[in-house]
Amino acid sequence: MSASPLIEIRQLVKRFGDHTVLNGVDLELFAGDIKVVMGPSGCGKSTLLRCLNRLVEPTSGVIRFRGEDITAPGVDVRALRQSIGFVFQQFALCRHLTVLDNVTLGLRKLRGLRRAEAEQKALHELDRLEMASHRDKYPAQISGGQKQRVAIARALAMDPAVVVFDEPTSALDPVMSREVAGLINRLHQEQVTMLCVTHDLVLAQNIADEVIFLDQGVIRAQDSIARLAANHADPQVRAFFGREGFSA
Amino acid sequence: MSEWQSFVGDLVEQWPLLVTGLGQTVLLTAIISINGLLGGIAVFYLGLSPRRWVRRFINGYISFLIGMPLIVLLFLMYYGLPQWGIRVSPFAVAVLGFTFNVAAYNAAYLRTAYNGLDASELEAATAQGFSHRQIFGLVILPQVLRLSVPALTNQVILNLKDSTLAFLIQYTEFFARVQELASTNFQFFKAYAFAALVYLALVSVVVVAARLLERRIIIPGSMR
Repeated sequence: MSASPLIEIRQLVKRFGDHTVLNGVDLELFAGDIKVVMGPSGCGKSTLLRCLNRLVEPTSGVIRFRGEDITAPGVDVRALRQSIGFVFQQFALCRHLTVLDNVTLGLRKLRGLRRAEAEQKALHELDRLEMASHRDKYPAQISGGQKQRVAIARALAMDPAVVVFDEPTSALDPVMSREVAGLINRLHQEQVTMLCVTHDLVLAQNIADEVIFLDQGVIRAQDSIARLAANHADPQVRAFFGREGFSA
Repeated sequence: MSEWQSFVGDLVEQWPLLVTGLGQTVLLTAIISINGLLGGIAVFYLGLSPRRWVRRFINGYISFLIGMPLIVLLFLMYYGLPQWGIRVSPFAVAVLGFTFNVAAYNAAYLRTAYNGLDASELEAATAQGFSHRQIFGLVILPQVLRLSVPALTNQVILNLKDSTLAFLIQYTEFFARVQELASTNFQFFKAYAFAALVYLALVSVVVVAARLLERRIIIPGSMR
């Protein structure tokens, strides 16, 4: 673990009109860490992730990425985004591109790699995620779990400093969810830095020892799911984490 | 001499002029279809501008051009502009007038297809660090063009049929030549039926080409 965090969020606030979605969030993520943010729908989880790469502009607060305040004016937002791999709930693969082209597109058009170099790199990532044999298929020809693997390979191919997951299993059945959980664990062992927001208790339990509970725009708890389900002082927190028998 | 013999005799006599007219029709249709497609893409691109005033201007352009009969636009340019000292040839008026009009329609088709795209794909491209222009060229355009093939090829058919309007601004395309043929022997039914068959044959060529194109560009595994 390095001395200073890779990502440091201080008093992050995001308002949409009169509606405050994030109301003073503090979070640190060190290189090699995996952190899971949980909370009910609409609690601000996805907004928190989107503030990290400025898909959503924070209202106030500071986000430091590798020590640099990325909310400051003059930041190269496109370069920032290339350093943060983003895996979406709905996979978000380009339907008109093959699996291989989905992964090479960023390498060729953003990193300036030649097609052969980009394909070599993309195939390495696809192979790592056991998707190389599907290289010539289109997204409509593969399953949801396979699409999510391709989306992860697309993110990893850019050698990001951190990979963020926005509800990566909510569009998947339990079997595919477990596959994705296993994959995230493997990446964690390989020291990939990750931040995952989810309300999938099984996924959270499988990939992290502790979770951060975000509710109504603030972090209300940080502990293991079992302890949050059984012992937390707030009955709402206990109810959220105890809904699938984790208090037992 | 029977009516048919007389008609066929005139047809043979005027055949070179009819072929020239047919060439003018095909040329005009090809030019306005290509210009209209490129113009439509440009108008569609500007319609996605982050600047609100640009989007408003483009919305106004599309509404104005789609709302105005093409013949009014052609007459405005051919008969109206000379009053301001601007004289343009019938061919130039036809090309410009049709291009403005077809570009507006094509932009509207592309926008309809765009509204059907998965918003998460566009957000993902933004999150990867692609610029607005790259997202347009690499993600949006390849998909909306595929989705719009039926509408765009239908527009080519409309262009072919509407090219007859150019006859009204003194552009001697195929229909103008048929009109001359009809006025030579007063066998209007035969002349116009002949014109109808020729246009039907040309439209059939476009339809077959469109089907082949659609089959070629369909995304595997996709319904579209």
